[in-house]
Amino acid sequence: MSVVIPVGMGELKVARSPETLVVYGIGSCIIVSLYDTKSKVGGIAHIMLPDSSGIAKERLNPNKFADTAIPALYDAIKGESGVFKANLHAKIIGGSEMFPPTEDYENNIGRDNTAAVKIALKKMGFPLIAEDTGGKRGRSIEFVLESGLIMLSILGEEPREL
Amino acid sequence: MEDVTTLTKIQLDALREVGNIGSGNAASALAQFLNRKIDMAVPTATILDFKDIPTILGGPSTLVMGIFLKVLGEISGRFLLLIPAQTSIKLLRTLIPGCEIDDPLNMGEMESSCMREVGNILAGAFLNALSALTQTPMLNSLPSMTYDMAGAMIDNVIAEMTAVSDKVLMIETSFIESEEDLKIHIFLLPEPKSLMLLLHKIGVN
Repeated sequence: MSVVIPVGMGELKVARSPETLVVYGIGSCIIVSLYDTKSKVGGIAHIMLPDSSGIAKERLNPNKFADTAIPALYDAIKGESGVFKANLHAKIIGGSEMFPPTEDYENNIGRDNTAAVKIALKKMGFPLIAEDTGGKRGRSIEFVLESGLIMLSILGEEPREL
Repeated sequence: MEDVTTLTKIQLDALREVGNIGSGNAASALAQFLNRKIDMAVPTATILDFKDIPTILGGPSTLVMGIFLKVLGEISGRFLLLIPAQTSIKLLRTLIPGCEIDDPLNMGEMESSCMREVGNILAGAFLNALSALTQTPMLNSLPSMTYDMAGAMIDNVIAEMTAVSDKVLMIETSFIESEEDLKIHIFLLPEPKSLMLLLHKIGVN
């Protein structure tokens, strides 16, 4: 039987086959997954905000921010046996705007989060092989570590694989 | 104040009273609007870890109608109404003559606009009471509405408030229509930076 591990807002988890990582109700948050195809080890960071600059170090929860969570995810995954940086690839899911701004000066957190994780992934040199981002709907995912596939569900749409 | 965990019990009690006055006014507005008797639960003012919020809302994947407004002015914050599917159907059938909607997913422009107006009226009544209490003008942005997973809505609403602290102050109340189990949850999340001013205006330091 496979073990299902939920990853909440601002959390970061690493697991390996036959485990499954799940995230329910993703809005403007963005999920970054890293997966090692050879060892079937993977991890997820459930990121809430784009940028940690300006936050005092002693108060910083690195898992919440795109610029700090992706290095933290790599740190957590690289210690697992059989993981090599060259085998890792990334997928990103989320970054929607559930309540589209009614005033044009308002910022769009979902879009900012998406842009920030792309920059952070590039900096770390992880190839981004799939993404499902933006829009106005919430998302839920199941990251099956045996196959490396991410099952994506959106209200009112057919589930699909990433 | 950027860290809500330093709030004292007296300050929290005062904020709960703010919730009481605001929701009392919103409940009367709703009662007039629907021409029915509306009961109100005793409001709570709690400091929560943001991770626990989706659970309080019935789990991150629970489907709800969410109406969101920003509170603008010297005292700013966020205002979120969460309405279970059954309640929103009842509201729509009461407010729109001939409406036979049975699933919020099938809402058209008329229904969406009606729900946004419900949000506007409730938020307006809540904030008017607060504005009178604090002698501070408060305005609300236009309401934005969606029907989706509660967890996904919360992301958007609290993300920016959690940059510094993992804790969020939430003033919560719910309305229950006596016979038909009409439930509406109101959440007011004051911006941490305007909390001190809010407390000062109501005479609690």
